[in-house]
Amino acid sequence: MQKILSALVIHDIKNALALLEIDLEQLNHRKDVPAEGRRAYRRCIELKNRLISFLTLYKHDQSGLQPLMAEVDLAEFIDDMVRNSQSAMMAESHQGHQIVVHADHKRMKLENTAGGLGMFDENLVELALESALNNAVRYAHHRVDVWLEQEADAIVFKVLDDGAGVDEVGELMQRKIEEKSSSTGLGLALCKAVAEAHGSGSVRLESVPGGTLFTMQFRAVA
Amino acid sequence: MANPPVQGINALFAGRHIENEYVHFNKLSALVIDDISAMRHAVRSQLQSLGMNKVSVASNANDALELIKSTAFDVIMCDYNLNSTSSGQHFLEYLRNENLLKSTSIFVMLTAEAEYSFVANAVEFIPDDYLLKPCSESKLRSRLERLIDRRAFLMPALKAMDAGLYDVAVAECNKLLDIAPDDRRRMDVLRRKSDAQLALGEHLNVLETYAHADSVRGDAPWVMMGLARTHYALGDFTQAAEMANRLVGKNKNYVAAYELLAKIRLEADDDEGAFELLHRSSVILPSAKRFRSVSQAAFLLGRLEEAKSNTEAAIQLSNGSMVERPDDYLSLAQTQVDMGEHKGAIETLEKNARKHGDVGLFGVAKGAILAQAYFDSGEHEKARKLMERSVSLLANRTDSVAMTALGKAALKTGDVVLGMKLLTQAVQVSGQEEQIIARHVKKSMIDTGHADKVEDVIDGGRKRILLLVDEATKLMRTAHFTEANQKVNEALGIHEENLEALMAAAQLHLLWLKHEGMDARVVQRAKAYLSTLDKLVPNNQKVMNFYRFFNDIVSD
Repeated sequence: MQKILSALVIHDIKNALALLEIDLEQLNHRKDVPAEGRRAYRRCIELKNRLISFLTLYKHDQSGLQPLMAEVDLAEFIDDMVRNSQSAMMAESHQGHQIVVHADHKRMKLENTAGGLGMFDENLVELALESALNNAVRYAHHRVDVWLEQEADAIVFKVLDDGAGVDEVGELMQRKIEEKSSSTGLGLALCKAVAEAHGSGSVRLESVPGGTLFTMQFRAVA
Repeated sequence: MANPPVQGINALFAGRHIENEYVHFNKLSALVIDDISAMRHAVRSQLQSLGMNKVSVASNANDALELIKSTAFDVIMCDYNLNSTSSGQHFLEYLRNENLLKSTSIFVMLTAEAEYSFVANAVEFIPDDYLLKPCSESKLRSRLERLIDRRAFLMPALKAMDAGLYDVAVAECNKLLDIAPDDRRRMDVLRRKSDAQLALGEHLNVLETYAHADSVRGDAPWVMMGLARTHYALGDFTQAAEMANRLVGKNKNYVAAYELLAKIRLEADDDEGAFELLHRSSVILPSAKRFRSVSQAAFLLGRLEEAKSNTEAAIQLSNGSMVERPDDYLSLAQTQVDMGEHKGAIETLEKNARKHGDVGLFGVAKGAILAQAYFDSGEHEKARKLMERSVSLLANRTDSVAMTALGKAALKTGDVVLGMKLLTQAVQVSGQEEQIIARHVKKSMIDTGHADKVEDVIDGGRKRILLLVDEATKLMRTAHFTEANQKVNEALGIHEENLEALMAAAQLHLLWLKHEGMDARVVQRAKAYLSTLDKLVPNNQKVMNFYRFFNDIVSD
């Protein structure tokens, strides 16, 4: 009974939150929306992302995620992902200084034989990348780059932020610790779950020249 | 590809929108289906904000159905959780099964993350896209743009499909294949092409299309399922089963494959095997339709307890919805009678099924089953009166379900002559349902102690009819139309609604007109055969082709 009740309550909260988000989204179309309105919208989105991450992880723990494999146009996917990312949208007006989120086509590697297509669950991967992006934006100084590399038997998604440089390993450590303990740790766990659900997947966060690189990869099925 | 600018919150705040030059949302219509009023209106505001000004809403599947019947929506956004008993998936399956969804309509399912992957993997009838709730406006925009763009490419073929011009659709698909810019579009086109060829009944051509699709991308589920079905239609059950099993091996939740395997088992008289497979698919994706199939298989196997519980499940799941079927009460009551629960059967029909009345063909079958129940409980006079009423209600209508019920009741209550007559006719008029009706008739006869006459009743002159049709076909090929007509008439004399004979008659008269030119009497007869066929097997592709052929000749 308790289990059913909690499921009902969670469902109810999620729906209410979704409605609130759409209301705030529509409100924010108006030119005269006050600063509080923008802030409320941002908070609502963050809260929703946390709840969805939590629910997806819960599902992963309980019965496993079952990705719905479909053909995805990879370049289009990255473009849409970045263009529609709420984290990217919020980053543009982040705490006084803007952070630009960039779909990096120069770094993109596509397998010629695959015709620019990949097979994965678009919705799940988008969910995972959104939380990775959200994280990157929080630590970036000015810029976040997003791209993917297609290999013969794997797809690798990359998010690079200019937050922690090579000699700032300490900061990276700090960031990893924070991620473990804080609610944003949900983000990495979510990415891991999504990557695993796709088969032989993994995620990594590492310090590289010029910043911090997040990598999520999984086996590509033909 | 140029990097599109990030749509910043500032742009959003300023009320600016990034417009796609190809997609004009203001010209598109949409329907939003959601049981939660606030959600419905929120999604509508998002669509309106994209520029759509023709957005309708519906709170349940029944209302949505009415709207879909009257309007060809460009986009249908349906919530997965419609209510506790029926899901968006049931609704989509219903629309596709009943052919109510226009090819040009884009169907998008809105789901919560927890439910979507399960449903998505289990079914054949997948929507054009899934969107996770909640969905931001900009994401909604780019997904819709993409879908509309894909649709725009297929448009000539889709329009032909919706007009029922399947040969035109195939031709359009061939043109599109020449200009398809990538494999995904190519697969899109091939899928439509195979749909059109299936509608035309061109099984050999569709095999080529599947082979083509397989060479573009191997092991796409729709290709594998299509291959399995086509092999089945061509009578190659071994290959059909092999392909269906391969599909199940890749995706253990693919219910359509289980259902085809069940049909193959039935053909092989492996009723147990068929039952197991149908049962499995009803567990994976419960629906009233699946419970009915399981119930029927169980009933024919004599597993009455399971037949009963599955029919009860079908009733419970469909009660008050558009997939509700009064016949479920008939199945339940007949099962109860056979189990010796005559009181239960009477309650099912007189109390629970009261809202469906007792007139028409339903009334015929209802009276027949009630007669059995009262007969079993010793009220023979009441049973006799019910039988009389059903016989007069049936009058000279022919309906295999009502006739089977009434025939069984007649045998049970002692009127062997009437029983045999009705059951023979039931098989004769069963058309596409023949196999299953024959099984029910056979079971009824064995149950009532008439196993020795099964052959006669089920054959009912069919062998003779088929022989005559065969002779007529040979004669018409050599342009001996008068002689062929004699054979056809003889066949129709045995049974005037026999499908094979009617098809042969229609074909004969069309060829006749083509070869010998216009003759008012031949035109008249051709029309009559076509309209009889159209009544017996509505929307039959072969009949539709006859019609088209007929119109071509007449307009020449």
